[in-house]
Amino acid sequence: MARPLGSSQPRFAPGCRWGKQGDDQVVLFPEGMIRLQGTGQSVLELCDGERTVEEIVGVLAGRFNSADPAKIREDVTAFLEALQQKRIVDY
Amino acid sequence: MIPNPLALIAEITHRCPLHCVYCSNPLQMAGAKEELATGGWLRVFQEAARLGILHLHLTGGEPLARLDLKELVAGAHACGLYSNLITSGIGLSETRLKEIVEVGLDHIQLSFQDAREGPANWIAGAKAHAHKVALAATIRRFPIAFTVNLVVHRQNLDCLEEMITFIEQLQPERVEIAHAQYYGWALKNRDSLMPTREQLDNCLRIVEAAQQRLSGTMRIDCVVPDYYARYPKACMGGWGRRLMLIDPAGRVLPCHAAGVIPGMQFDNVLEHPLEWIWTDSSAFQRFRGEDWMPDPCRSCDRRSEDFGGCRCQAFLLTGDASATDPTCSLAPMHNVVENARLQAAGQGSASEVVWLYRPNPE
Ligand code: SF4
Ligand code: SF4
Repeated sequence: MARPLGSSQPRFAPGCRWGKQGDDQVVLFPEGMIRLQGTGQSVLELCDGERTVEEIVGVLAGRFNSADPAKIREDVTAFLEALQQKRIVDY
Repeated sequence: MIPNPLALIAEITHRCPLHCVYCSNPLQMAGAKEELATGGWLRVFQEAARLGILHLHLTGGEPLARLDLKELVAGAHACGLYSNLITSGIGLSETRLKEIVEVGLDHIQLSFQDAREGPANWIAGAKAHAHKVALAATIRRFPIAFTVNLVVHRQNLDCLEEMITFIEQLQPERVEIAHAQYYGWALKNRDSLMPTREQLDNCLRIVEAAQQRLSGTMRIDCVVPDYYARYPKACMGGWGRRLMLIDPAGRVLPCHAAGVIPGMQFDNVLEHPLEWIWTDSSAFQRFRGEDWMPDPCRSCDRRSEDFGGCRCQAFLLTGDASATDPTCSLAPMHNVVENARLQAAGQGSASEVVWLYRPNPE
């Protein structure tokens, strides 16, 4: 699979979801869990299967108004691709 | 400080309509009358969640043999556990699956014995294959994670490419290619299950090519079987470090096979809180940490990665549960594994195989 496009609509893959470990929010999937921090968590929270990658980049660029959107786009697509390979995210 | 366990393996029954020749269940299985009742399991799940456990693996035997499976899944979901049903699929209709998914099942792991019907049923000792194929298509229509589990061994490894293509068509997100491990019934059938070195080398090559080809579509997990590896596996992620297993009668074990080790006492959830069993019971403390380790493990750099290997395998192959796992190339008793490999290499063809099938407990 290729990287997500600007028009891709990322979402959790079947059977992957948020969970709690103590007070921490974690992502649960068949083989285990990951604890995301900062931007990773924000990106995944925006992945509702409706928003496009371009829209997610827009929301994040608005939040960190000093950051370069091209850099954000690069980070977001690389992050989603890595989760897609683990079969945690689909787009 | 002892870290929390991360996962609970609940063997909710030992009953199973299949008779797989590599079944990891103990030779002494629990009967239906000994099984923990619904309420007992539900209380245990709550205790597990409070203890920090995230994943619940419902297994057996065949977990579908429990008519209260839906209540168990619902109870697990209510306390926040991520639930996984490990099944042969026998006893699962679309209606029952729908009910279980609706109450919160997250993941289903369906086992296949082969891509070809005849050999699959030969290994399972039952006519199960056609049902599994039909069921896979049904499962894929539900919004849960779907993993196919394929146990590989000497009798099916030569068809690995065909099996991967077959599984691809079932469209799971994942496939787990698991080499048979020699505990329980599998140890009894080891000579006919153990692959040759050549089969193993081919297997690794085929898996690597398939991983590349299917990257992002179907994840393929496969590990080198420990009889052919240089170092042992970190069995269960280390004794009493990550996992707890509860057998049908409620006894809590550090792993599937620990019941074979003589002189152990496994406490029961009917008599003790799960937390106490994890932190204080003698069974979980027996091989936790490094104090029990013999040479060469105690001075080996790998001891914090593999924890000296598997205690049950050490006992089964050397008669001493505190020995270095003989699958380790540094182990004093490594020759028993070398001999087993040689013996396997000298085995004849499939037509000469006489299996010891796993029976179904009353
Ligand atoms: S007989 Fe087969 S299906 Fe049944 S518990 Fe054993 S391995 Fe699983
Ligand atoms: S000697 Fe012990 S610790 Fe070292 S690799 Fe072998 S089993 Fe592991």
